[in-house]
Amino acid sequence: MPVQSNRVASDGMVVVDCDIHVNDLPEFLAPHCEMPWRKSLEILGAAPRRYLDIPGYAPSFGLHPPIPGGHSARSVNTPQAMRDELDALGIDYGILLPDHLLLFATLPNIEYATALSHAYNRWLVAQWIQAGSGLYGAIMACPQNPEDSAKEIERYAGTPGICSVYLPTAGVDPLWGARRYDPILAAAEAADLPVILHSVTVTSPVFPAQINQFENHFGRQVIGHAFSMMANLVSIMHTGVPARYPKLKIVFTEAGVSWVPCMMWRMDRYHQEYRRTVPFLEERPSEYMRRQMWFATQPLDEPVNPKHLVETMEHYGGADRTLFASDWPHHDFDHPRGLAKLPLTQEQRRKIMGENALGLFKLPMPNRLSKREIHSA
Amino acid sequence: MSGNQEMAERASEAETKSQQPASTPVDYPVGPASDFPPGSHRIVQVRTQEVGVFNVNGNLHALVNVCPHQYGPVCDGPVGGEMRCNASTGWKFQWSRDGEILICPWHGLEFDLTTGRCLAPKEMRLRKCKVNVVEGEVRVSLTGG
Ligand code: FES
Repeated sequence: MPVQSNRVASDGMVVVDCDIHVNDLPEFLAPHCEMPWRKSLEILGAAPRRYLDIPGYAPSFGLHPPIPGGHSARSVNTPQAMRDELDALGIDYGILLPDHLLLFATLPNIEYATALSHAYNRWLVAQWIQAGSGLYGAIMACPQNPEDSAKEIERYAGTPGICSVYLPTAGVDPLWGARRYDPILAAAEAADLPVILHSVTVTSPVFPAQINQFENHFGRQVIGHAFSMMANLVSIMHTGVPARYPKLKIVFTEAGVSWVPCMMWRMDRYHQEYRRTVPFLEERPSEYMRRQMWFATQPLDEPVNPKHLVETMEHYGGADRTLFASDWPHHDFDHPRGLAKLPLTQEQRRKIMGENALGLFKLPMPNRLSKREIHSA
Repeated sequence: MSGNQEMAERASEAETKSQQPASTPVDYPVGPASDFPPGSHRIVQVRTQEVGVFNVNGNLHALVNVCPHQYGPVCDGPVGGEMRCNASTGWKFQWSRDGEILICPWHGLEFDLTTGRCLAPKEMRLRKCKVNVVEGEVRVSLTGG
């Protein structure tokens, strides 16, 4: 029986990737940017830069020398290239998040950040979202300007292809969950758009990004995303976000999933002891997590025995709360095949690989599968 | 003091009336009702068990002095109220039911004295004992209340 090399594990099931990245260079966004900040982007567009490291635009505060021998530095510049690459990976749908603007929350200039968020959203809708392409977008929230950001979410709610709101998480200060961001969360809830937290490795003076003591990128990479997600999850819980916004759906990306039970159990334990300080949490934190939160697989935790990862997932709700993500085209992306070795039932696999995301982001079943269903009927 | 005593007696009389008569399990006398005025709580020994007897607004409640969390002496803890914050309070912190909530001295888990239920994991509960007042004497039965 011939085997389609790219669809080994996911053949016959929808594959939705809730984390892929578009190359959002300043020169690409400049034509979509309001004055006077368009002028800044034009200057940045001509400035020398390193991969995903552009001062004043994507300040990664990189402290490391280039790795001898080099390291992958892929980026995707056009929707057609993205579509072709997702096809090669066996991915039906992808949810687009930025490249450089993963560092967006570190930008301190409020007017500039506001204009940049407008430009990114305009550019995303104009250049990347096309009917039938299977590329879906997340409107970028602007933590520097929550009131404006809420209006931006209202503006794009209902735009075909916009399925979520991206919360820039790397270096965000204060953390998501702080009450100043309430307008953003209220707007996302009202628009029924799930919010996606996405971090990136950054060295910054704000918690928990003060990772300057790590000598190399190994240390910073291991710590960066995971600590960011842990801190933001606790922050979101400690101000009662899921209780105050009971219809808000929250997705955590790019930190694997093994950190989740640890934080969940710690929160449940201290909820017992400090309930009086968080009386809005009328149920255990884990109950809110099981109802309103989802966790993306990439970078896949790779225990020697893959069964241990499946068991770890079960602690926070398993296949019902887990979403496939590849992080294409970044250096630590996961091929859908990477999940083939996990001992999951077919039903669990279908949910994780795509069916959960279809429901969460309200996406249609792709043609190749609806046609197949018609054939087999 | 005598006012308190009267209230306690009245309250416990009311409780006694509502409880099933005759063939009740063995009641252990634990002291005169005057020792349990409203707002007070005492720990008494009933055979091998320590039991906390609480007078909440004139009603007596008896709970086994073992916390379901890590078996701490829960009845040694202070009695407080319930902090609430939800849509019905306009998301403002509100202190309610003062005097009805027991706080375990070990890790601070809170229990509703009237039901024994924990306020955080609601399936966790204290063991309640039957308590009543017979001829001015508080009686506790270990077999449930
Ligand atoms: S033993 Fe009572 S709170 Fe831990």
